[in-house]
Amino acid sequence: MRISHLIFLSFTLILLLFTVTTYINYRQSEKVRENTEYMTMSTNMMRSANRVQRNIVHMVSGLRGFLLTGENYFLQAYDSASIENAALIKEIALILPDTSNQEALLVEIDSLNNQWINEFTGPLRDAKLNAEKSVKNEAYYDRLYKEKMYVSDESQINLVLNRKIREFISLEYESREKRQQLLSASIQETKAISFSLTILSIIAGFSVVSFLAYRISRRIAIMVRMADAIASGNFEVQTEEQGTDELSGLARSLNHMASMLSGSFNELKRKNRELDQFAHIVSHDMKTPLRGIGNVVTWIEEDHNEELTPKVEEYLGLIKGRVERGEHLIQGLLSYSRIGKEQQQLEAVNIKEIVDEVLENYNLETNMKVQLSPKLPVIYTHKVPLFHVLSNLITNAIKYNNKEQPVISVYHKEFQNHYEFFVKDNGPGISKNYHEKIFVIFQTLHAKEQVESTGVGLAIVKKILDSRNETISVESVPGVGSVFSFTWKKSVSNE
Amino acid sequence: MNKIIRILLVEDDQLDAMDIRRSLDKLNILYKMIVAKNGEEALEVLNGNHEEHFDELPDMVLIDINMPRMNGIELLNTIRNTEEWKELKCFIITTSDEKVDKERANELGVSGYIIKPFKVNSSSLDSFNLMIDLMNMKAGSL
Repeated sequence: MRISHLIFLSFTLILLLFTVTTYINYRQSEKVRENTEYMTMSTNMMRSANRVQRNIVHMVSGLRGFLLTGENYFLQAYDSASIENAALIKEIALILPDTSNQEALLVEIDSLNNQWINEFTGPLRDAKLNAEKSVKNEAYYDRLYKEKMYVSDESQINLVLNRKIREFISLEYESREKRQQLLSASIQETKAISFSLTILSIIAGFSVVSFLAYRISRRIAIMVRMADAIASGNFEVQTEEQGTDELSGLARSLNHMASMLSGSFNELKRKNRELDQFAHIVSHDMKTPLRGIGNVVTWIEEDHNEELTPKVEEYLGLIKGRVERGEHLIQGLLSYSRIGKEQQQLEAVNIKEIVDEVLENYNLETNMKVQLSPKLPVIYTHKVPLFHVLSNLITNAIKYNNKEQPVISVYHKEFQNHYEFFVKDNGPGISKNYHEKIFVIFQTLHAKEQVESTGVGLAIVKKILDSRNETISVESVPGVGSVFSFTWKKSVSNE
Repeated sequence: MNKIIRILLVEDDQLDAMDIRRSLDKLNILYKMIVAKNGEEALEVLNGNHEEHFDELPDMVLIDINMPRMNGIELLNTIRNTEEWKELKCFIITTSDEKVDKERANELGVSGYIIKPFKVNSSSLDSFNLMIDLMNMKAGSL
């Protein structure tokens, strides 16, 4: 599976989990809101029910007061309580949910209330109100009073009415209690579910991320190692990769690159080896005929000296000169092709000693001035190639010098992992056009007769430094002098 | 009585052979030298199958390394592995100063390794002196 798909899928999964959690919590909040509404409603209803009950008491006492004293304000108390109760019961009926089992009870309360008013309190009130108007009316009232108060079951109805109202209230309490319990349970449940879902999504997210991180970073680490290996010249590296994702594609490209590089590199090595071998064989085979020519000329000079005219002698001299130069060239070519073939041992190499050894051949013959930096280092390295490099540079600095007093300086700079050495002269200098050319084999800037020069020295220096991944550069002002500088590692891995 | 020193030179280059002969001539010694042009021809000389050959085994064999058909190292190898020749005094005279060749020659028990050009007072003086000493020892009453 492609990594982008995997990331997309895992994020979708996590998002899904969070959506579910949010939805559940939303549902719970709805429930709580509904419950709050219900509680408000229930409280109102109970307040009303309580008032109904209280009003009944007011009605009883109001009516009694009126019946006993005939005072109007007792009548007002009764009337207002009676009107309010009718309104209250209607109101309760309105807010009572249709599904409630209290509805029957309310209907019962309503009819009991009506019955109480219509059959007892209402007629008594009216009779008392009319009693003062005539004696007949008063007689009717007295009869009615006795009938209602002592014979009928007024007090019984009143009692039942009161009981029903209490029942209604306590039922409401119970149902409220039940709902409260259900709500708490559902809150608990919601808490548990959202907690587990949150934990689940955290775990899922964490595992997906760590899986991806491990999978990606491990493979990237492998590929980085591979790229490092390639960069350090080891092309024989491959990484196992069967997947189909982007990183597998990258790994396969790396594998392909490594094998292509390896192929090209081996081809290059083979070609270089062939070239070296070719140079070696050719120069070797050319030595014999050259020496033969030289020998014959010598024999002519030795055995037939008297027969030679001065012109012939001069020509023979020219032949010998050319033979000698040919031999030098061949020797140079052989040295050049041999670089890197000798087995080398690591040893402590004192740069000062090398410089002294090179200078030994020159010290006596001129008024040359040599300046060495006071603390030339001692390096644990291969001596022969370093000697070749320094010796060629110093020799060149002296050989091509055209000043009255040649001044040669050798100094160095130290860096963390390598040294840089400088060989400075006050010779003729080299024009910038030739700075590249001087390192190519058999290139020399001087006529061959002028200075004994084969054009191999700097080529050898360059080849040695190249083969060790060191660098060389030259700074020069024509007429003033040149500075050749090269780097040399402080420690060599012995391969 | 001056003893005649028998020298077998195995050398494919005529001028090199002439050069060696001139150097030997300057030494005022009596010698007979047969030149073989390669290893195979040298074996024929030693076997007595060549038109030129010695009555006895040569006192010394001077061998070039780079030769056609059978090179010097192969010839040395054959000589060392043949019962009647394995005590022969052999010298390498070559242009090659390769380490490999020198080591190979030493393993095959050469008495000297001389790098051309073959000259008296050349850098091969030590080997050359050794050769002279050997010849003197052989020559006995010289």
